[in-house]
Amino acid sequence: MSETIVALATPPGLSGIAVVRLSGDNAIDIAQKHFQSKIDLTKSESHRIYYGKFVKKDGLIIDTVTVSIFREPNSYTGENVIEVSSHGAIIVYNEIINTFIESGAKLAKPGEFTQRAFLNGKLDLLQAEAVADLINSVSFLSEQASERQLEGSFTNKVKKFKKELIEIAGLLELELDFSEEDIEFIDKNEIKRKIYEVYDYIQVLLDDYNSSQILRTGFYISIIGFPNTGKSTLFNTMLDKKRAIVSDIPGTTRDYLEEYIYLNGIPAKLFDTAGIRKSSDIIELQGIKLVDSIIKQSNLLLVLNDSNLGIEYSDNLIKDLKSNYGNKEIILLQNKIDISKIKERNESEVLISAKYGIGIDKLKEKLYNSAYKSISRVNDQLINQRQYNLLYEIKINLMDALNSIDNNMENEFISIDIRKAIKKIGELTGEIYNEEILNSIFSKFCIGK
Amino acid sequence: MYMVNKKYDIIVIGGGHAGIEASHIASKFGLKVALITIDKNAIGRPSCNPSVGGSAKGHLVKEIDALGGAMGILADRAGIQFKMLNTSKGPAVWSPRAQIDKDLYPIVAYNFLKEKDNLDIIEDNVQEILIKNYKISGIKLSTDEIIQSRAVILTAGTFLNGIMWTGLISTKGGRYGEPANNKISNLLKDYGFEVARLKTGTPPRVYSDTIDYTKLSLHPGDEPPIPFSIFTDKVENKVMCYATATTEEVHDVLRTGFSESPMFTGLIYGVGPRYCPSIEDKVERFSDKKSHKIVLEPEGLNTPSVYVNGFSTSLSKEVQEKGLKLIKGLENVKFMRYGYAIEYDFFNPYQLKLTLETKNIENLYFAGQINGTSGYEEAAAQGLIAGINASLKLMDKEPFLLSRNEAYISVLIDDLVNKEHNEPYRIFTSNAEYRLLLRQDNAYFRLSHYANDMNLIDEKTYGNIQAKQEMLKKAFIESDKYKIKSEIANQYLNNIQENEISESTSIYTLTKRNNIKLKDLLSLTNDNAIFEEIKKDEELIKQLEIEIKYEGYIQRQMKEIEYFIQNENKKIPDNFDYTKLHSISTEAKNKLMKIKPISIGQAARIQGVSATDISILTLFLK
Repeated sequence: MSETIVALATPPGLSGIAVVRLSGDNAIDIAQKHFQSKIDLTKSESHRIYYGKFVKKDGLIIDTVTVSIFREPNSYTGENVIEVSSHGAIIVYNEIINTFIESGAKLAKPGEFTQRAFLNGKLDLLQAEAVADLINSVSFLSEQASERQLEGSFTNKVKKFKKELIEIAGLLELELDFSEEDIEFIDKNEIKRKIYEVYDYIQVLLDDYNSSQILRTGFYISIIGFPNTGKSTLFNTMLDKKRAIVSDIPGTTRDYLEEYIYLNGIPAKLFDTAGIRKSSDIIELQGIKLVDSIIKQSNLLLVLNDSNLGIEYSDNLIKDLKSNYGNKEIILLQNKIDISKIKERNESEVLISAKYGIGIDKLKEKLYNSAYKSISRVNDQLINQRQYNLLYEIKINLMDALNSIDNNMENEFISIDIRKAIKKIGELTGEIYNEEILNSIFSKFCIGK
Repeated sequence: MYMVNKKYDIIVIGGGHAGIEASHIASKFGLKVALITIDKNAIGRPSCNPSVGGSAKGHLVKEIDALGGAMGILADRAGIQFKMLNTSKGPAVWSPRAQIDKDLYPIVAYNFLKEKDNLDIIEDNVQEILIKNYKISGIKLSTDEIIQSRAVILTAGTFLNGIMWTGLISTKGGRYGEPANNKISNLLKDYGFEVARLKTGTPPRVYSDTIDYTKLSLHPGDEPPIPFSIFTDKVENKVMCYATATTEEVHDVLRTGFSESPMFTGLIYGVGPRYCPSIEDKVERFSDKKSHKIVLEPEGLNTPSVYVNGFSTSLSKEVQEKGLKLIKGLENVKFMRYGYAIEYDFFNPYQLKLTLETKNIENLYFAGQINGTSGYEEAAAQGLIAGINASLKLMDKEPFLLSRNEAYISVLIDDLVNKEHNEPYRIFTSNAEYRLLLRQDNAYFRLSHYANDMNLIDEKTYGNIQAKQEMLKKAFIESDKYKIKSEIANQYLNNIQENEISESTSIYTLTKRNNIKLKDLLSLTNDNAIFEEIKKDEELIKQLEIEIKYEGYIQRQMKEIEYFIQNENKKIPDNFDYTKLHSISTEAKNKLMKIKPISIGQAARIQGVSATDISILTLFLK
């Protein structure tokens, strides 16, 4: 007795075509009431598309539409699904949705379609998460990774190492359960080798996490420099539009600005920050809270130097940044070369004129290389925070098991941690029920998916 | 005593290990109980191996003892060799085991039961279980005589439509030389019970004086032997066991008989256990193994019969004889009885509540091998639980249900009811998730308070258990406070090649080291009252050592239990309507409707019910 839900499946706003999706036991009956054509949807086979008119209760024709019919269980949600493709005018799809609601459908909650797909066994938990990631993904690369996850390759891989752990546990238990028979003893080194196999793979996934964060949210670049070095001009030049207000008065940028740019398909978030004041000789970096927090989030810092004031004018700032923020990658930009006409000192700095766009292509190429390097470690999986936490716990369990082996503990102790790891993998793939997981995943969706 | 009283509270049908426990414990509740057996001289007869306990089974016996049951006491009284198994492994898998005198055991059991008040033993092969409106009303004896009762506990073992096979020759019967009962399962089938077939086997018995012991290796008991039961003071090792092994030559001979084996030719339909395989199964399945271990176990003090452990078979007599005689020490052996396989009816246990009451018929309980288990201990554990719960129900009290984190008994019953069984179920330590907490040494601390609540244990014994537990706690705290001086400890540490200590160190810290024995450390002290006290009790020292050495692991298991309990506490209403759950799989729905789990935790353990199904169920219950 699943209630029938309805929502717009395509992005809201004006578009060529809009798709309204209905899912639930009565989806076909409800659609039939408003579909005028020669055929009867309630008698139609699954996976058919029909052309006809969408009419309201009072017979008023709203639009010519095509209706796709999917019968349970062969649909996205596993329930009866109807997809009405209409013209993309907002007023049209809103009318369609309202008409369905009048006829007994309920407006879907965010993620409800996918939740039903999950609850009906059409997707496993990891696939459902991938749907959320796919919808929310900002880059083409991450989309690809999400899609791979949707196809279940992550699930398969995780299941593979679950199988390996079960085998290890099995070997350990066998010796315990059949002590009365003459079961051959297992070589502890062999067990260790097997555990390390899984352990190493988990470590790779964990390392990927940091990189995958970049794919999901972008590569963060911030422009840092003393006041009036041309940060906002560079920001605008990079964006190819006027976003920041530019003036000759130092301190025009009061807080900061952020905007996405794409570096050959890799999303990057560019921050324009307020200038760092040089009061006496001490640079009060920590004092500027906002700048501090932006720097911390950033993957790369662009330090903009006004080459007119001297080629080494910002060197102390760089030194300070290095000592305060550790190993963040820093690129020094010598700006205003149209006036200063200086020559570069070494490969690590780039000569530009933000105002005239000189050296910007070279800069972008450098940024792309840097961003690419940081994500190239992502082989094919994207993992999110929940998965990261579980994988991390699994890693600890495996470490405990390895410790038990090294301390000459008996099989039963080794197997305690192996069993825990197996259980957590079950939570990771959704085979083992855990209420919190469900709630956290399905809250990330927008309506219609 | 032999007078047939026409009316009882509880009638137990079957005098095996389940029947003994059920009738004994019910009589302890003060109810009027009758135990009906085909042969009163065969009560508790060990029809297969002449031993009690072993891996995980020994845990069950300890737990039965802690709850006021009989098996530990009987095994001690009939025991002839005692041994703690797996002592080279961790403490969770140490398991007590005893060889028993198979002729003495039924005598001991009969004498034990006949002394009980309110318990009558009746010799008969029950014809019919009487049911009125899906509720028990009594039974009909073979003489057509009717006895009324409020509850019936059926513990018929392998006697329901039992067929024994040796080669292609079959005989009807429940145990060697005893008739089967073919009526009861047909009757219950009419009431909608699902009946299926299982099989199990037993090895040959040979004459002791035809074995050449000089060629064999010794299998002695422990010295001193430790009894199973807290109610037993002392036991003795009276026999020696011997070990030998099969060879490839033997395997070749056995293979010649496969074409005439009822199992290989498909005559036996019941599925056999993987873990207690017949020798032909072992030869067939582990074809790369050149030898299998055989242990020769005397079946008693006054019988020449020797049990050939490891040689369970249903091959033809000729092949059994030819094969066995090729084994070292058995060259001139004479058979007393050939090995046979037995096929019997069992009731799929999903038809039971966790109390072992049937869901179909009120006040009808099933316990033991008819629920598809294998082993005396598994049967006894069920008999105990059925007996306790039948009694509590008749007394209008809440049922007695243990959780998986409390006892092997509950692991057994929970597995039986929730899982699918394609072979006889045997308890294993790997079945228990929290086995480090479910040790044989702490069974009394875990369970005796329940026995006390139900008045199943005498005050004095319970007082002793409590005092011990208190002492253990005190000693644990003391071990951390009490420091041994380096000059005293170092000599010992040197002796066992451990690193010396540079300053006074607590007993607790030292015990955590792998090679250090608490017992040795304590012997270095003589000025602490608590230690002097626990030094008198070897078992207590061992327990304290376990608690210190494995503290980290124990605490981690306790933490896991907290999480486990949450789902156990999410209850599902008694008559929850699963037909409302449209979106769960048909398989899951059918299983849930059949089994009717009492909690989300139990539901999640049912085979065929996925995490998704549980999510839906949870959403519905909200």
